[in-house]
Amino acid sequence: MKIVLIVNRKPYKINVEPKRRLLDILRDDLNFIGTKEGCGKGECGACTVLLNGRRVNSCLVPAFQLEGSTVITVEGLRNWKVFKPIERAFIENGAVQCGFCFPGFVISTVSFLKEKSSPVTLDKIKTAFGGNICRCTGYTKILAAIQELADQKDIIDQIQEDWKNEFNARK
Amino acid sequence: MSLMQENEIKFYCPQNINELDQIIKTSKEKLTFVAGTTDLMALEHEWKKINNLVDLNCVKELSQKIEIQSDGILIGAAVPMSGIINHSLIKDKFTILVEALQQVGSEQIQNRATLGGNIINASPAGDSLPVLNVLNAQLWIGPQKNGEFEKIQVSEIMSGPDETTLKTNKYIAYVLFPFPEGENLFWYFRKVGQREALAISKLSLAVLGWFKNGKIENIRISAGAVTAQVKRAIKTESALINKELNEKLIDEARKSLEDEIAPITDIRSNVEYRKQICGELLRDALFQVKLEN
Repeated sequence: MKIVLIVNRKPYKINVEPKRRLLDILRDDLNFIGTKEGCGKGECGACTVLLNGRRVNSCLVPAFQLEGSTVITVEGLRNWKVFKPIERAFIENGAVQCGFCFPGFVISTVSFLKEKSSPVTLDKIKTAFGGNICRCTGYTKILAAIQELADQKDIIDQIQEDWKNEFNARK
Repeated sequence: MSLMQENEIKFYCPQNINELDQIIKTSKEKLTFVAGTTDLMALEHEWKKINNLVDLNCVKELSQKIEIQSDGILIGAAVPMSGIINHSLIKDKFTILVEALQQVGSEQIQNRATLGGNIINASPAGDSLPVLNVLNAQLWIGPQKNGEFEKIQVSEIMSGPDETTLKTNKYIAYVLFPFPEGENLFWYFRKVGQREALAISKLSLAVLGWFKNGKIENIRISAGAVTAQVKRAIKTESALINKELNEKLIDEARKSLEDEIAPITDIRSNVEYRKQICGELLRDALFQVKLEN
């Protein structure tokens, strides 16, 4: 079937099998290999992307539901001003080791910080990131990086602005 | 209505309920109704077998509608769980439902998964089922006959593990949550799993009830993952109704529930654990109720 979808601000017209996974479209058809496959069952969160502004496991989204959709992968966050500080917070806290889960964690981070309700407690972060699994860090450093980001007002403001630019400006 | 056909795979994207019902009327094949696809796609071999798909996401009345009515709240069966979790009135009136849905999978899953899917999967471990049961949720089943949906109680939907009573090409359109009749409502929900996120239940317990003149006027108890169907613990409930809550009664209720449920041993847990912990959860629930009243 032919579908049109927008990935990282660029429209793609593609011919795909209706039941093909969004994850395979991104990685194999469009070469956005930042998005990773871990479990393929919606448990590990390595394939997390933003679909129409909401984070989802791209391994559990079929092509036939994608017509006209907007997808943001970790590559697309390079357009966001807030990406650099997020990257820096993860690196400085030692929150990235093998790096496999990192793209999923970054997508969840922007989604969480966009929706966050203050105050951000460790419990809230743990709940929000329950769907992202990391096998290296033991999580402590990841949680520290996210907490650090959540506590900075200019980061939160920047996310709101980047989000607006991404999803509202082009309608 | 749009029909697309590709290598034997047919799928439909009906734009409203009338189109949907028309597809069903004219179809000779067994149709599979999908929305969030989170469970279907996670079971790869099942997913491969499905050839006739109807995407309920296309039907806005089913994938977006949350309507407040005089007697309750009507929720489209294909509304993603996050839409229910973030609805302020549902949070306020049906807190127990929101708490249960927040424990389904992860936020990534909640952004896609739906109540209809959780019900139709008919897993004894379905997270929302015990809560739907104590809330007396009513299911509206399509296609419509003479403009009316068929209405059944959630307790009537499961005939056994992974089996429903729905006939081929019937679908769940809406779930109606009636406002509970009582004042001074108390409720409790606990899910026990290997970890907090993304765990399939070992067991769960939902309790809802209310007091009148110091006595329990009504109580509904439904345990998850310990029975083959969605079933209330009627014996235990009647042992508690019209009684004043005290320690002796709480202990009797715990024992009664342990006897009343019929869990099995499987990869996630065993009979002894499930019986004992289920009883303990009820004790925990009732002690909490006693403290608050």
